[in-house]
Amino acid sequence: METKSKAAAMWKALKKRPLSLLGFCIIGFFLLVAAAAPILAPVPANSRSAYLIPEDGYNPEPKLPSAKHWFGTTENQYDLYYGMVWGTRTAFKVAVLVVGVALLVGIFLGSIAGFYGGWIDETLMRFTDIVLAFPGLVLAVVIVAVLGPSLDHVMVSVAAVQWPSYARLLRGDVLAVKEREFVLAARALGASDARILVRHIIPNSIYPLLVVASLDVGSVVITAAALSFLGLGAPAGYASWGQLISMSRDWILGSPGNAFAYWNTVFIPGIAIFLFVLGWNLMGDGVRDILDPRQR
Amino acid sequence: MNQRTACRLFPVLLLALVSCARKPVQQAVFDPSTYTELTFNDSDSMDPAWSYDTASDEVILNIYEPLFMFKGSSTKELVPLIAAKVPTRANGLISADGKTYTIPIRRDVTFQDGTPMTMADVRYSILRFILQDRDAGPSPLLLEPLTGYGGTRDSNGKIVPGIFKKAEKSVQIQGWDLVLHLPRPFSPLPTILASWAPIVSKEWAIKHGDWDGTEATWKKYNNPQKQTSPFFEHAFGTGPFVLVRWDRNTHEIVMRRNEHYWRAPAKLKYVIIKGIDEFETRKLMLEAGEADSIYADREVWEQVQNTPHVQIIDDLPTLEVNPIVFFTFKLDGTGNPFIGSGKLDGQGIPLDFFNDINVRKAFAYAFDYKDYINEVLNGKGIQPTGVVPKGLLGYNPNQKIYSYDPQKAVYYFKKAFGGQVWKNGFKFTAVYNAGNIPRQSLLQVLKHNIEALNPRFNIEVRPMDWPEFLDSYISSKLPIFILAWQADYPDAYDFTFPLLDSQGAYPGPQHFADPRLDKLIDAAVAQTDPAKREKMYWRIQELEYEDVPNLPVLQPLDYRTQRDWVQGWVNNPIFPDSPYGCYYYPVYKKLPAPPRKPKHA
Amino acid sequence: MLKFIARRLLFLPIVMLGVTMLLFGALQFLSPAMRASLYVKDPRQLSALNEVILKYGLNKPMPVQYWIWLKQVLHGNLGYSETAKMPVAVAIRAFFPATFELTLVSFIPILLIGIYFGTLSAVKKDKLLDQTTRIVAITGYSLPSFVLGLFLLMIFYGHFQIFPPGRYSLNVDLLVHSSRFHHYTGLLTLDALLNGDFAAAGDILAHLVLPATTLIYISVALLLRITRSSMLEELGKDYVRTARAKGLPESVVVKKHARKNALIPVVTLSSLLFIGLLSGVVITETIFDFPGIGRWSVIAAQQLDVPGVMGATLLSAFLFVVANMISDMLYAFVDPRIRLN
Repeated sequence: METKSKAAAMWKALKKRPLSLLGFCIIGFFLLVAAAAPILAPVPANSRSAYLIPEDGYNPEPKLPSAKHWFGTTENQYDLYYGMVWGTRTAFKVAVLVVGVALLVGIFLGSIAGFYGGWIDETLMRFTDIVLAFPGLVLAVVIVAVLGPSLDHVMVSVAAVQWPSYARLLRGDVLAVKEREFVLAARALGASDARILVRHIIPNSIYPLLVVASLDVGSVVITAAALSFLGLGAPAGYASWGQLISMSRDWILGSPGNAFAYWNTVFIPGIAIFLFVLGWNLMGDGVRDILDPRQR
Repeated sequence: MNQRTACRLFPVLLLALVSCARKPVQQAVFDPSTYTELTFNDSDSMDPAWSYDTASDEVILNIYEPLFMFKGSSTKELVPLIAAKVPTRANGLISADGKTYTIPIRRDVTFQDGTPMTMADVRYSILRFILQDRDAGPSPLLLEPLTGYGGTRDSNGKIVPGIFKKAEKSVQIQGWDLVLHLPRPFSPLPTILASWAPIVSKEWAIKHGDWDGTEATWKKYNNPQKQTSPFFEHAFGTGPFVLVRWDRNTHEIVMRRNEHYWRAPAKLKYVIIKGIDEFETRKLMLEAGEADSIYADREVWEQVQNTPHVQIIDDLPTLEVNPIVFFTFKLDGTGNPFIGSGKLDGQGIPLDFFNDINVRKAFAYAFDYKDYINEVLNGKGIQPTGVVPKGLLGYNPNQKIYSYDPQKAVYYFKKAFGGQVWKNGFKFTAVYNAGNIPRQSLLQVLKHNIEALNPRFNIEVRPMDWPEFLDSYISSKLPIFILAWQADYPDAYDFTFPLLDSQGAYPGPQHFADPRLDKLIDAAVAQTDPAKREKMYWRIQELEYEDVPNLPVLQPLDYRTQRDWVQGWVNNPIFPDSPYGCYYYPVYKKLPAPPRKPKHA
Repeated sequence: MLKFIARRLLFLPIVMLGVTMLLFGALQFLSPAMRASLYVKDPRQLSALNEVILKYGLNKPMPVQYWIWLKQVLHGNLGYSETAKMPVAVAIRAFFPATFELTLVSFIPILLIGIYFGTLSAVKKDKLLDQTTRIVAITGYSLPSFVLGLFLLMIFYGHFQIFPPGRYSLNVDLLVHSSRFHHYTGLLTLDALLNGDFAAAGDILAHLVLPATTLIYISVALLLRITRSSMLEELGKDYVRTARAKGLPESVVVKKHARKNALIPVVTLSSLLFIGLLSGVVITETIFDFPGIGRWSVIAAQQLDVPGVMGATLLSAFLFVVANMISDMLYAFVDPRIRLN
């Protein structure tokens, strides 16, 4: 009963904020595209993986949109439309997995640090300090250099630099919550540490963290795209928006006299990344505004 | 003033300062005294005994001078530079047995401060070049022909006893003649001396802390740390330009005209070579007239077409075979992710898969060379007839080559491994260096063609970064790998040894060896009669066709992108980084005459 | 206060040690041949691979290699960076001023614009100015820096031919390296002015405009949001309502009271923002060919230039700890409640 009216209250509050509604719509749109990918851009018959963009010949020069290729082609004749559609799935995969993994690690370490305190807390916090002090991009490049270029490795390296701030945040909230009455009551009843953590403390301290995480999704996607742009991400021909822009790097300024000769290679994936991140940001803003009592 | 006014004033101030630096739109600045080249590569060292990369070698080409030089665009005809005459059998300066070279040296050469060059400098330069012998450096190129040794150190890193005396004996002076004594004939020697071991000043070297030329101290300067030598970032040569500054911070090399040059001074006053990684930035600067020529390779060819005031000089020959597909005859199976199951069961390949000549021949017939060259490279290049490229003695235009023939490919696949390959199929991973689009396309074409022959044939194509590639290549883990070869000096030996000799750079990890080839390659380099030599190289490439240890796919044609006011540039494929890099001595800048307007009658 | 500083400073070497050990741990997985690839770049050098490995001791066990490096560092020698072609310490001295100058030139407008418009938009909440500011903020937050940078380059340099990439034009380059030019601060704009050469200063500034604009647009978003929300929070407090009730003019209420308190989180965030800028310039430096430390550190990492990467990482860790320390100190200084604690 309580959750239902909470949701209803949220929906009412959301309607008052057109920008946040826009955010939800944008993400909703991308979600639909991602879900309908096999229909919107059918996978070629003997393709090894749906994420490999089909190539139409080997000519290095990108082509503008045409009847055959709705968005045109990129360098080496990869079909841009196919790449964009399946790239939506990649975008979600990156966004959700990276933040998800970083959250899990951060929650795990942060809650243990906050709950047990003492030297466990000290050690874990010093460790997070060290990881935070690490230049993120350099760590990402090193990880990819060691493991090899692939989107999975890029995700690992971005998650590796994200989790410390989550751990710290949760630790702070756990410290506050663990002194509350219901926790003391549970302890008095003889509940185990794990049970207290999982059933009582974490659910009550997690909200601010989730809000921060939802705001981070945008920057995570941008970082992953930047790493692809630097050539560290998925190999050429893999359906990922950042990879598509990276392939357009040599064609960005067009040909002499026509700066926009290859506009589709930059503009289309660029606008998609922008809208995707914008959608998450607007959505995150809206959620934060609604959940934050001070902003009402 | 209050905040509001300050906020309003700030952008105005900014714009005022900026407009001081702004040049009028659409008007390129023509400065005939300074030439700016934009490149992609990074120089390694200005030391001619150390450097083995094209970026450094281009600068060395303009600052230092070797004994000979190639005439104009020729890669066969030599002219004397520091030397007074080019030694040949005909003029007697090469002895009848081919083991003694007498090279008369010019007496009027001066260093960049006007001081005269002496024979001591000449001898010192050659000895320093061959004795520094840094790891992965160019010294062996000259060390081997002069002393018979491939290196000054053995495989444990210890100095070979007696090597100094050997080197000393082989480089002698008689008056104004440099006399070189070889242990056995070595035909390419003059061409090596046209590209390597330029003359440096012994006095300058000693004054700045480098080797003093004696036996007592040479070991200290053998295989040194790169940055400890004064030659690393400073130069003192005889060439038409002097090195003003090498700024590693801004990737810039500044050269200035040598006013004491022993020939007529160069026309350009300053030459600046700047490293800019982004092609788009290089292109913009070229269009704006801030650069006079840029590095632009075949992939971006479309984008430089029809640029106003920019000239494209295309169809320039190269001395390069790139790409070449190599087969690994004996793979290393430990921790090898590229061979699948490691067995001929349709899920992998056995370690000796490419040891079977039928497999190699099948692959050779399965690749569509013509289509690749036309589609991917816009037809700019030719299929080589062997490892010796067109333009060198030993090239055989009539040598039989492999061409696309799916039926023959099927035939050989069916023969391979007694029919097992055709019956069970195979699967392996082929890699290319990440970012190299022509090589990626090559593998995709190959994969496409081979998989079309039999549904049980599977090739996975994936990119690999250079470090991982190096690691996998050296441990013989890659079933096939794609590399290239660029001439050190324009001679067939420089191509046949590294690519076909069992001691060569590639056959080593390939575990390929054909004693017939080894013998022939060894004999051909010592053969002084050009006609006989040519026949030997023809025979070598016949054997190559028989053995098919590799597939040379392309000898590319390059193009140069420069402003139309650049005059005097001469192409020679042996120049480092050609055709982007330049020998700047004959180059000058002059605005082209505007098109004449027809006069009214 | 002194005890606080001392404790933080003590922490510094621990962090730096920890960071380098972490990095070396990651590098553990590189085979000797992979590390040798830094020195063997051309296929013609392939046959010398094993010798190169021997020469640089790349096949020794990782802990041994780390210990060798550590000993060197403790003796003041940070090693030689192959990608920069100079000793690591010299490379840092060469690249850092450029990045610092770019960061400074971006940071000041970020502060000014962020605080001014953040405050204004809180005061005029939900009016046109507020909506516009929020749109600017949200787009800055959502745009990848490389997309923005490339667009700016295309429009301003490609089309209008002003604001070139790089750090200075060739004639200024020759000037700056000549003996007549005195380097006072390492910040070339300032130095050019101090040398009396306005044209040169203008040229250097012109080269800074595009990279700075990219950085500003992306980063000002954060400051706008924080200032706005903090200001909104202040404006909702009791003492503000009291001041208004007392009849004080709005501008006084805002300027004299609310803003000062609203700036507390802003001030403490600023040092972190500055460090974020310093480390976030990698992409911008790459696109605009700006010779700074961001660009070098990525190239070093890509080519497995271990001494270079270690050096850049040490610098970054050092800056991070110092920034945190300054941020905490500022927080204590600005917020009297903390001080009294």
